[in-house]
Amino acid sequence: MLFQFLENPPEVDLKKTYDAVIVGSGAAGGMAAHVLTSHGLKVLLLEAGKYQDTSSLLHSMEWPYQHPRRGAMPPDYHALTVREYTIRQPPYAENSPYTKVTSYIQRSGMPDFSKTLVVNEKEHPYTGTNYAWVRSRVVGGKTNLWGRLALRLSDYDFKAASRDGYGMDWPISYADLAPYYDKVDLYLGVSGYPEHVPQMPDGKFMRPIKLNYSELHLRKTLQGMGRILTPYRAGVASETLKHNKYRSRCYGRGACSRHVGGCDIHAAFDSTTGLIRPAMDTGNLTLRPNSTVYEVTVDPNTGKATGVSFLDSETRKSYHAKARVVVLAASTLESARLMLLSKSRIYPNGIANSSGHVGHNFCEHVMGPSIVGFMKELVGKPRTLDDGRPGGFYIPRFENLETRNPDFIRGYGFEGGSGCTMIPGTAFTSPGFGEEYKRHVRDYAGAVISMGGFGEVLPRYENYVEIDPDVKDAWGIPVLRFHYRFGENERKMVKNMAVEARRMFEAAGFEITSVKDDMLPEGWSIHELGTARMGNDPKTSVLNQFEQAHDVKNLFVVDGSSFVNASCQNPTWTIMALCWRSCDYLADQLRKGEI
Amino acid sequence: MQNAINRRDLLKLASATFLTLQLPAAEPQAPLYFTKDEFALLDRLTDLIIPADDHSPGAHEAGVAAYIDRTVAEAFLAEEKDSWRKGLAAVNDLTQTTLGKPFLDATKEEQVELLRKMAQNESQPQTEPERFFTQLKQTTAFAYYSSSIGIHQDINYKGNVILQEYVGYWP
Repeated sequence: MLFQFLENPPEVDLKKTYDAVIVGSGAAGGMAAHVLTSHGLKVLLLEAGKYQDTSSLLHSMEWPYQHPRRGAMPPDYHALTVREYTIRQPPYAENSPYTKVTSYIQRSGMPDFSKTLVVNEKEHPYTGTNYAWVRSRVVGGKTNLWGRLALRLSDYDFKAASRDGYGMDWPISYADLAPYYDKVDLYLGVSGYPEHVPQMPDGKFMRPIKLNYSELHLRKTLQGMGRILTPYRAGVASETLKHNKYRSRCYGRGACSRHVGGCDIHAAFDSTTGLIRPAMDTGNLTLRPNSTVYEVTVDPNTGKATGVSFLDSETRKSYHAKARVVVLAASTLESARLMLLSKSRIYPNGIANSSGHVGHNFCEHVMGPSIVGFMKELVGKPRTLDDGRPGGFYIPRFENLETRNPDFIRGYGFEGGSGCTMIPGTAFTSPGFGEEYKRHVRDYAGAVISMGGFGEVLPRYENYVEIDPDVKDAWGIPVLRFHYRFGENERKMVKNMAVEARRMFEAAGFEITSVKDDMLPEGWSIHELGTARMGNDPKTSVLNQFEQAHDVKNLFVVDGSSFVNASCQNPTWTIMALCWRSCDYLADQLRKGEI
Repeated sequence: MQNAINRRDLLKLASATFLTLQLPAAEPQAPLYFTKDEFALLDRLTDLIIPADDHSPGAHEAGVAAYIDRTVAEAFLAEEKDSWRKGLAAVNDLTQTTLGKPFLDATKEEQVELLRKMAQNESQPQTEPERFFTQLKQTTAFAYYSSSIGIHQDINYKGNVILQEYVGYWP
């Protein structure tokens, strides 16, 4: 009942001028809706995808054997493989014999439950260099799928250029953003344990998850090396959020990663229940799903944005929504695409692009290096409950803090976990067959420990996206063409990640079964950032420190586009803290008549 | 909306299921894709890969061959289906060449020995029987360890329960 309204939204009044129109309903769009409506502004939120009730979609209680295909997607669906991303060029789904093709993310967990939350690659092509682009067109966006790691950046990131001479500092420092991180923590809930390390500041934490035996052993080992291993800092309500009736306290079912990141009780943050539903309750928010925005419209006399043009995603009928302020939150790559598509006589290179930087300085995290081992003491021990929690552990960056690595600049962190999962990994890695194999799977299932690295990819002007002059998506909208490759710094960093992973496991006395030191394809981290970076100089940046376009006062871009560099810490929490700060400023400027 | 059994129902289900929802051993029904002989061979092979032992039942009891049969019957691409039929034929060919009889007529010791030959390059299979072994083993592993027997009786998985507090050693 609660959500029926979202499934059948009333006809939206497009004759009126809204205070703000927001494009996109993920972490950034949801946060913009929350902050602007709480300031009393009348807001229209446009989302290209449908509303889908993940409470009934995700089935966190279900056992694999209760599903006819053990959680696999229908046979005519296909999720792209590493190999397909590597040996072929996009568009990857072109000429595919399958009816529906999804990104790689649908290869794991019980993907049948999340198959409608991601786009059909056949309808959403892109071209250019290899890139594993994961997209979710649905109310809530990729927050329906995210990995829940909720980290803060620090001045090691915001002032990185001053420290190592590469790139550009952010126009803000940690002190500017800290109060907004606090607001995000308290409004949405974050589980964590305070470590007091400068490269990854602590938040306003709820009940932390617990480390298991081998993780605690690794934590103690790393303390001796001057490194930290901390319980996964999860954007999950591990305690009751009294102010939000749409979300429940985490009950440790451990199903989050069995469903490609989904949580059907909404303990894990998703934008729909965490931000959009409460914003609708203010009476100030109108949500229109099925609205594919293709242009930001402008007044040729004032140069200001007048609203957005969009297609109804189902009927393909074209509409225009009018607003005093346009807020883009369509994701780093889609917001850049929209700005580049919004060409006019006064903005011939796309809106807000006098610098020529829109689509450029595109950066993210590099993945690939990983290690798997086991703790000998745990082999053959009675089964324990190891995965009833939203994540395992995180090892924050330790390179290039007070000392300088001669091979590369910036740093990386590791995400990891250990112990027995519902379907043990050892089933697929133990050699041979027969009783011996079966015993090995069972005896080692609880002893396994593994982790994988996330490294900062440097922002480079020459890594960029542009509009493809020929190829269009299923709605007739020109698509993105990628010009993006990892560079020398990333290659050297990745080798070091594998070396250090081995060093840490060896120090802990773990038996190592595999170490990988090669890169996964570009895009794998789903952390794309930087295509409309903020800065003080309008010649070298697109947005100011409040994510307001230098060229167009009433245009804001509040998603990952605004990042100046990627850091190695996961971006979602920072996107939302920046967005909150920007929307406070937006509301204030609007009140003062400055916009 | 109403594929939605409500949460309380699911809870009851979850605690009751592994008693009631075990897949029956699959012989009586006619296979969906494989011939009767192919199915018998598949069932035997999967049960050699994961046999019953003093700890838990094996692939046969867990209905692994029936799961594979259903998956292959539904497979969208002809080459996916073909790879299974080709693979099973290769097992019999190898047995004929080595022992002069079909696989199912061999003794258990002979069968294990043949399988060992197929498994020798598991991580980088070269020949058709080797390629098929890897495909068969990975699929058997998934089918067995995602079954009720695999999860509850073999692995004794403790999770997927409601926890008031997280479990672990620290903090």
